[in-house]
Formats: sequence, C-alpha cells, structure tokens
Amino acid sequence: MSFECRIRRFSGGGIIGETAIETRGLTKTFVVPRGIGDLVRRRPALEGITPVDGVDLLVRKGEVFGILGPNGAGKTTLIKILCTLILPTGGEARVNGYDVEKESGMVRESIGLVTTDERSFYWRLTGRQNLEFFASLHNFYSDDARDMVEELLGVVDLKYAADERFLNYSAGMKQRMAIARGLLNDPAVLFMDEPTRSLDPGAAQGLRDFIKEEIVKERGKTIFISTHNLEEAETLCDRVAIFDDGKIKVVGSPEELKENLGNGSKLSDVFLHYSGKRFEDRGKGGGFRPDRRGFARRGGLGRRRGGV
Amino acid sequence: MLQMSYKFEFFLRLFFMFFNILTYYFVAKLIGTAGQKYLAPYGGDYFSFVLIGIAFSGYLMVSLRGFSESVRDEQMMGTLEAMLVTPTDASAIITLSTLWNFIFASFRVLLYLIIGVLLGVSLAGANVLGALIILGLTIICFSSIGILSASFIMIFKRGDPINMLFMSTSELFGGVFFPITVLPAWLQTVSHLLPMTYSLNGMRHALLQGYSLRDLAPDVGTLVLFSAILLPASLLAFRYAVRKAKMDGTLVHY
Repeated sequence: MSFECRIRRFSGGGIIGETAIETRGLTKTFVVPRGIGDLVRRRPALEGITPVDGVDLLVRKGEVFGILGPNGAGKTTLIKILCTLILPTGGEARVNGYDVEKESGMVRESIGLVTTDERSFYWRLTGRQNLEFFASLHNFYSDDARDMVEELLGVVDLKYAADERFLNYSAGMKQRMAIARGLLNDPAVLFMDEPTRSLDPGAAQGLRDFIKEEIVKERGKTIFISTHNLEEAETLCDRVAIFDDGKIKVVGSPEELKENLGNGSKLSDVFLHYSGKRFEDRGKGGGFRPDRRGFARRGGLGRRRGGV
Repeated sequence: MLQMSYKFEFFLRLFFMFFNILTYYFVAKLIGTAGQKYLAPYGGDYFSFVLIGIAFSGYLMVSLRGFSESVRDEQMMGTLEAMLVTPTDASAIITLSTLWNFIFASFRVLLYLIIGVLLGVSLAGANVLGALIILGLTIICFSSIGILSASFIMIFKRGDPINMLFMSTSELFGGVFFPITVLPAWLQTVSHLLPMTYSLNGMRHALLQGYSLRDLAPDVGTLVLFSAILLPASLLAFRYAVRKAKMDGTLVHY
C-alpha cells in the first residue's frame, strides 16, 4: 500500500489491509521552559524532553492496534499528535491518508478521540446536551444531531440516563459517554487513550468486550488504543507495539511476540526482553458480571444515585 | 446551555443593573446643567450621555473578558481539547463560545435604553440604522481586541496585557462617563487611539441627536479602519497562539 494512498471513505469497512495510520520518524521534543532567573543569569537552555522519538508505525484499516507502555512512556503524546492536538517536531504522520500537520482539518473530520478525562465534558449539562453540543462542532444540523445522539445513546446503553446531568454519572457511564462522543462523526479511526484506566476490573472487561463486539465487529472501526494493561493488550488488540522511552521496541500480534520469545512466555516477558525493564501489571480482573451490552453493573458501572 | 443552567446568576445580574442605572440618574440630577459646555454636542443632558456610555461600553467589557475567559474556562474545565479535536476551526469555537455574552450584553443594552426612556431620556429622533451600523462595527472592533486578548491567554494562561491596557484606559479616555473634551488636549490624543471613543461618540450622535449617515461618516469611517486592521490581526494572532500551544503541548494547561 503506497504511503500516498488516501482512504477517502471515512466509515470503516472492517477490511484489514488498507493503511489507516502511518508514521515515519515521528518525533516530538518539548523544550523545558526556563525561568526568568535562568534567563537573567544566562544559564544554558536545558535539554528537551522527547516523549516520541523517531516512531515508525503502520496501522491497517479495521484492526485494533495497541500501544503498550508504562505511564510516562509517551503514549498520550503520540495519540495527541495523531489527533492533531500536538504538533510534531520531526518526521511525518498520516491518518486516513491525511497529513496531521498540513491537512489537520481533514484528519479531524475522519477521527474520534476517547479519553479518560471526565473533565472533557460539561458537568452541568445532561448527557444528551453534551453529545448534541459536540455533534454541532462536527457540523451536524440540529435534527441530524438529535438522531445521531439518540442512536449513539442506544449503542452505549445510556438512553435511560440521557437527560440526567453528567455530574450524576458513574465512572463507567462517563466512559461510555466518551465513547459515544468519539463515534459522533462515524469516524474511520477511533483513538482511545487508556479507556479503562478509571474503571474497576469488571467494568474494564465489560468495556473491552463492548469495544471488540460493538465498535470493531459491528461498526468496523480501526481502533488505536493506548494501554498500560497487559491483559487488555492481550485480549483486545490484533497487534501490539511495545512502547518505552518514546520508542517503538517491537510490533506484532500478542501471540507472535510471545512465541518469538519461546514457549510459556508472557507479554510482560516480551516487554522485559525488548525494553530491559519490568512491566508492572496492573490489570487483574474478575468478579463482575457483564450486562447485555457487556458492561458490568456492579461497582462504578451502574447508575449512581445521589450525585457525585 | 451552560450559561442558562446558572439561572440565579442571570437574574441577579439583571436585578443589580437597575441599581447601577439609578445611581447615574441621581448623579445626573445633582450635576444638573453644570456640564452644559461639554455636553452640548450630545443634547446637554448628562443622564442621557452616561446611559449610552455605560450601556454600550458593556460590549467592550464582554469582548475583553468574554473571549479570554472562554479560553480560560475551557482550559480549566478540560473541554478545550475535546472541542479542538472536532473539525470546527478554533477561531469559530472561541467566537461562538462568547455568543451568549453578546446576547446578554445586547439584552442589557435594550433594558438600559428602556429604563432610560422611562426615566426621561428621549430617543424620539434616533437614527436607528446609523446606530445599528455603529453597533456592528463596534462589535467587530471590540471582538478583535477580545480575540487578541484570548491569544495571550492561550499562550501565557494568565496576565494578559491587552485586557489590562484596554480595561484601564477605555473608561477613562474613551468617553464613557464624561466627554473627552473635558480632558487636557494632550490626553485627548490617547482618546483618539481608542475605538471606544468613536463608537460612543457615533452612538450618542445617532441615538440622541439623530445624526444622518453622512454626519456619522467620520466615526463610521474610523471604526471601519479599526476593524480592517484589528480583525485580521487578531485572527492571525489567535491562529499563531493555537499553533504555539500545540507545539508546546500546553493546550489544556492553565
């Protein structure tokens, strides 16, 4: 597939093989700001921090691609560059065939972003009002926006709480809202930045099942997901990139990566082998029964009573 | 929608507006005809003069605070990134986010004028078309200054010199509370550098004196010139600020 090839149809078709994301030598260096005191004393500028360092990636259309790395590895910076929220200092990146710097508007039209930041919603507005507002930023006419929001509220199983204020939602409901918002423009590529971070293990598993069944199988989206959860990477992703210190160490399916290392290897061993560091496995699930949509109902998942 | 969710604040602001108008009404009664020499070009009545001043200067305050506060609010609430990942242009987002403030400011101006009329201000001979033209240009000028101010907030987060400069000088030199002819000649030079001066001058002439479009041409022309310079400059500055914040990775910092 040529690097120049553009995938013009935004809605994914679930066909693995076409390029959804491609980066070459992608680099981001943040210059550490100097204080006024340093300027007055003419101290030399500090070295920059490079959370993304010469990243070469190729993500095929219709696959679930995981970036697996510990906190601070640079995963969020990489996602933000691909979503046009941070400009790279070197290299190039294309999403759906569009250059993230020169054609950022086209990139934004064809992607969705799901973050764990609950603050990215208006807490005093209802779930429905939030989605309708963001739909208007996707240039939907109000009637179309209403229909789209209604449909998505059904998809994420939040119709029953659509007219409640966002501040009354539980962590699981907020995360489902974030997914609904990410799907508003029916994007070809959905970026998910640690989507299960704030969820308990059962809820996280429910969400993973939902992503796999509803978003990938039913809707055929390409998913680019960052995670520091080994279990999540293993169960959810078609391919995984081991990411540490801003660099891609190795890319492959979880099975391939483990097999290459020898029988009985785990993904944590793969991480240790390629990064030279131990990976702290935080994802231990169990004990929660998923509902019909795949979301567990206990703990932080159910409808919260009595506000935050 | 978000602003309407704070209904109590909305009614409080309206309620305390009446006290503001009444204060100037009684100050005007105290002054009586003492300022005739300076107020003659505007009809001679201080209450009418100051009513137009405080009503329309509200647009400058809304512009200066509205745009920069919108940026800062979205940064602090954490919604800015979610907005900027949509196809809508950042300038459009920031402009639309202040729409409510402008609607409220317009509603407030209307109430000021209605109360003013009830308290004896005569708008019988007003040139409404002329006033609307000046209002449109005023909003463009003031919004441009507001967008410049928001550009500073986008990069520096706090401590915006544009806001401080115009906030501190416009009421003193822009002719809100008294005609600029009261000022010494050398200070009037500062007044002539502010869009507020032409905006209020034109508005008073249009509403209180019923000046024709031809008579309003000097003020309208100057406001057009200000708009032609300030609007593109502010949009370029805002675009640069967003790019700089994206380069530094500080879009959501506050």
